[in-house]
Amino acid sequence: MSDPVIRTHGLTKLYGKSRGILGLDLEVRPGEIFGYLGPNGAGKTTTIRLLLDLIRPTEGRADVFGLDSHRDGVAIRHRVGFLPGELRLYGSVSAQELFSYFGHLRHRFDAVDTARIAEALDLDTTREIRTLSHGNRQKVGLVQALMGRPELVILDEPTQGLDPFVQQTFYWLLDEVRADGRTVFMSSHVLPEIERTCDRVAIVREGRLLAVERVDELKSRALRRLELRFDAPVPADAFAGVLEIRDVAVNGSIVTCTVAGPVAGLFRAASALPLLDVLSIEPSLEEIFLAYYGEADHAAA
Amino acid sequence: MQLRSVFGKAVHDQWRAVLGWSLFAGLLPALYVALYPSFGSGTMIVQFQQLMDQMPAAYRALFASTGLDLSTAEGFLNIELFSFIGPLMLLAVAIALGAGATAGEEEAGTADLLLANPIRRGRVVAEKAAAMVLWTVLVAAAIWVGVAVAAVVFGVDLRLERVAVALVSAALLGVTYGGVALVVGALLARRMAAFGVALMLAVVAYFLNALAPLISVISGWRVLSPFYWYIGNDPLRHGLEPVHALALAVVASACVVAAALIWERRDIRG
Repeated sequence: MSDPVIRTHGLTKLYGKSRGILGLDLEVRPGEIFGYLGPNGAGKTTTIRLLLDLIRPTEGRADVFGLDSHRDGVAIRHRVGFLPGELRLYGSVSAQELFSYFGHLRHRFDAVDTARIAEALDLDTTREIRTLSHGNRQKVGLVQALMGRPELVILDEPTQGLDPFVQQTFYWLLDEVRADGRTVFMSSHVLPEIERTCDRVAIVREGRLLAVERVDELKSRALRRLELRFDAPVPADAFAGVLEIRDVAVNGSIVTCTVAGPVAGLFRAASALPLLDVLSIEPSLEEIFLAYYGEADHAAA
Repeated sequence: MQLRSVFGKAVHDQWRAVLGWSLFAGLLPALYVALYPSFGSGTMIVQFQQLMDQMPAAYRALFASTGLDLSTAEGFLNIELFSFIGPLMLLAVAIALGAGATAGEEEAGTADLLLANPIRRGRVVAEKAAAMVLWTVLVAAAIWVGVAVAAVVFGVDLRLERVAVALVSAALLGVTYGGVALVVGALLARRMAAFGVALMLAVVAYFLNALAPLISVISGWRVLSPFYWYIGNDPLRHGLEPVHALALAVVASACVVAAALIWERRDIRG
């Protein structure tokens, strides 16, 4: 049970230019929803295409279900559902026909389950795919990835082009996968999506893995910003002696600061003043993300 | 329509185009056969034969891959249909389908989705090749039906089983170049390149077969031309030459195997 679903060893894919992935070591455990986060061009799609044996590593290897991604590719893909990042579908067939086609290629076509997912997403499966909007095509892609209850679902930028209401349905479908104890590996450059859905997240940039963290730990470990409200204006130097705080801004009766460490010193100083209220501002993953990337690169967020 | 396999999908994708092509492929030879009686057993054909006999040998060779003889319906059909138009129609359908097989999926961007299914790439190549063969045979059958109907209606004396044999030979030629297109497509992932290269090689082979007998330095090379294997023995008159037919079948099969091996080893275009 504890054997990882995905495990890569020094997985490397070099293209002529800088694109690709370098020495990636990654482990995805059974039953977790694993986020793969990075800006466009970080190597997310390259990693996913390596896992599916669509491209071959320059060095290193990738194991899925303990099987070699290339040698045992067919056996692996029996147990995987996949949504590509740049989804291209056959235009001349209906969604229904596509589901049946892929279902038969996978030897596990479940018309009832497929219809259920399509219905949840409010997708008309009888129309020719060429006549569907971008959002509806994305739904077709999601259904074929989730149908037949694959043990591992690999999603490359899954909510692209989905309206917010459909995104909610998508999250609900992911919860279902999680409840089944199945595994999800999803890439994204949208942080709230990862924050909303994932147990753990890997952050990649320019083909290199920066960090793998539990999403909740990532948030708790980060610096917190506190806002203290007083009954009367406070002196500008009231908190000058508190060592654990930074970026102090005194603005009349409102003081904001960043806390790194215990809050005791801060509250000791504050208790001498007419303290009314304390607000904790939780950092968004955007801020954490930026902390990893450094101040220089804001493009990612 | 329920799609269950890559083969089924490939057949389904192309039936409209191939049906249209088959109609054309059936009507044109029917027209030739229908014209034969009025073209005549009379003076006109004698004049035409004399005219052709006066032509430079090189020019004549391009018209007639086999001996030039207009006095029989077979001879007429050999020149009008089997020298050029017939094989061209079969080459066109086979090359188009071969070129579009894997390169079509890659260019359309659907290859990622298809190959994320538990199916070997070699299997995809084989099933698409099978669809290509099926449709080529179907177009050949349409040609036969056109010829047969016209022969019966207009009372032209033709051995229809020999027409079928000649079309088998032509279909084998088509499938051979369809296989070439499949290989180039698997290698380059470019549909037009695959189409162009296969067609170009077919043209070279056509001229090699037609002109080799006239040019002493290359006369020995004629046996290398698949067009020679196709028509060198004049299948309409002498039936299928097993060695030639086998040569075409072997090259076509080798192409499918090569395409499968090439596509197995390559990175799919992203």
